[in-house]
Amino acid sequence: MNDKKTTHFGFQEVPVEEKAERVAEVFHSVAAKYDVMNDLMSGGVHRLWKRFTIEASGVRAGHKVLDIAGGTGDLSYQFAKLVGANGQVILADINASMLGVGRDRLTDRGIAGNINFAQCDAQFLPFPDNTFDCITIAFGLRNVTDKDMALRSMQRVLKPGGRLLVLEFSKPQSEILSKIYDTYSFKVLPFMGKLVTNDAESYRYLAESIRMHPDQQTLKDMMDNAGFVRTEFHNMTGGIVALHKGIKP
Amino acid sequence: MALFMTSTLTIAALASAEKMLNAALRYDPATRIGLAQLEGKILAVQITAPALTFFVMPMDDELRLMGNWEGDVDTRITGSLLALAQLSQTETHNLKDSGVTVMGDLSLLADLQRLMKNLDIDWEEMLSQFTGDIIGHQTAQMIRAKFGWAKDRAKSAQRLTGEFLTEELKILPGKPELDDFYHQVDDLRLAVDRAAARVEKIIREKSNP
Repeated sequence: MNDKKTTHFGFQEVPVEEKAERVAEVFHSVAAKYDVMNDLMSGGVHRLWKRFTIEASGVRAGHKVLDIAGGTGDLSYQFAKLVGANGQVILADINASMLGVGRDRLTDRGIAGNINFAQCDAQFLPFPDNTFDCITIAFGLRNVTDKDMALRSMQRVLKPGGRLLVLEFSKPQSEILSKIYDTYSFKVLPFMGKLVTNDAESYRYLAESIRMHPDQQTLKDMMDNAGFVRTEFHNMTGGIVALHKGIKP
Repeated sequence: MALFMTSTLTIAALASAEKMLNAALRYDPATRIGLAQLEGKILAVQITAPALTFFVMPMDDELRLMGNWEGDVDTRITGSLLALAQLSQTETHNLKDSGVTVMGDLSLLADLQRLMKNLDIDWEEMLSQFTGDIIGHQTAQMIRAKFGWAKDRAKSAQRLTGEFLTEELKILPGKPELDDFYHQVDDLRLAVDRAAARVEKIIREKSNP
């Protein structure tokens, strides 16, 4: 009998220590065209989901914000404007290619001075306790190997009263929408991935990882278990995406 | 589910309105400088019919329109869409009988109202990005002339229509006639009040001799 611990990588079971490496391969492959693909895949709606996240963040001048799995910097750009010269934003991503694209893009858009970049793993955040007013992780939690550990790590570095926002694909709330969404993700999405990035496999993984991600209530329970209070979620676009919010007591 | 769709649609509508507003602001540096001075202030606009609340935040010499805001609000303006639209079209800051209520810092509202009124789009800068400086300048001159002419015509048309209806057709009363009529109504109201008071006094005297 094999007692090696495994976790899911899309629909496959892989050894725990392999997942991060395989996720990294996916994002190295798609980094350069990540934004184009996001726009194509969601029809631009991902901008609205992120916009709602910014509005729910309550971030204002002088705040310290950690944008985990910040990728190409969509949220960090807005946060850097909101926190102003006296605040600080840290764009963190485990993947060097994604972080590089994000850093270049933000510099090109004139964001500097109140932003720093960190290549780090959400499970082992390299920051002191009680550091941030707000932490966001948008479309990143499902790629983390041990989600509970990551949530605990985020809880640790948040200031008391600080809030965590998890924006992630979730479970559609209607059967019909669910069926349409399935066809779209498993047939159309890999095809688009093939056309734009010549990499159908990576996009097949994205679709599979979305299905394996905990649904709304399960993720809310996980946040409760990690020590967050006043946890709640808000479905968007019929539950295809949900924004979870939790406060550190 | 309907709620979620509405909220996504509201966010989309606000995002699109914000884009249009900021596109106009991009070519109006004077207004942008004015906005930069209001940075960090929050105006809540609460429309009662149809029910919709959104928040206006000057940020980085642009305007942000948000569907949610969890922090403090500097000014909150409440009224029906019609009342708010009417207010935005008038020069006056007098809110009496306008159907609009304002709470908080009135100066933020006045500043925003003034800045938005002054929004003067720099057609030249916008066009020259596509056409080059010379053609951009000439086309902008034409647009300015046309817009200026259209504005003048709109104003004088309004005045001429008013004059035609009151002086020529005599179907609407003139301002002096209206003022006289209002005075008569006021006098009548006072006379009726006096008569009512007198009647009440007589009734009291009769019942308590």
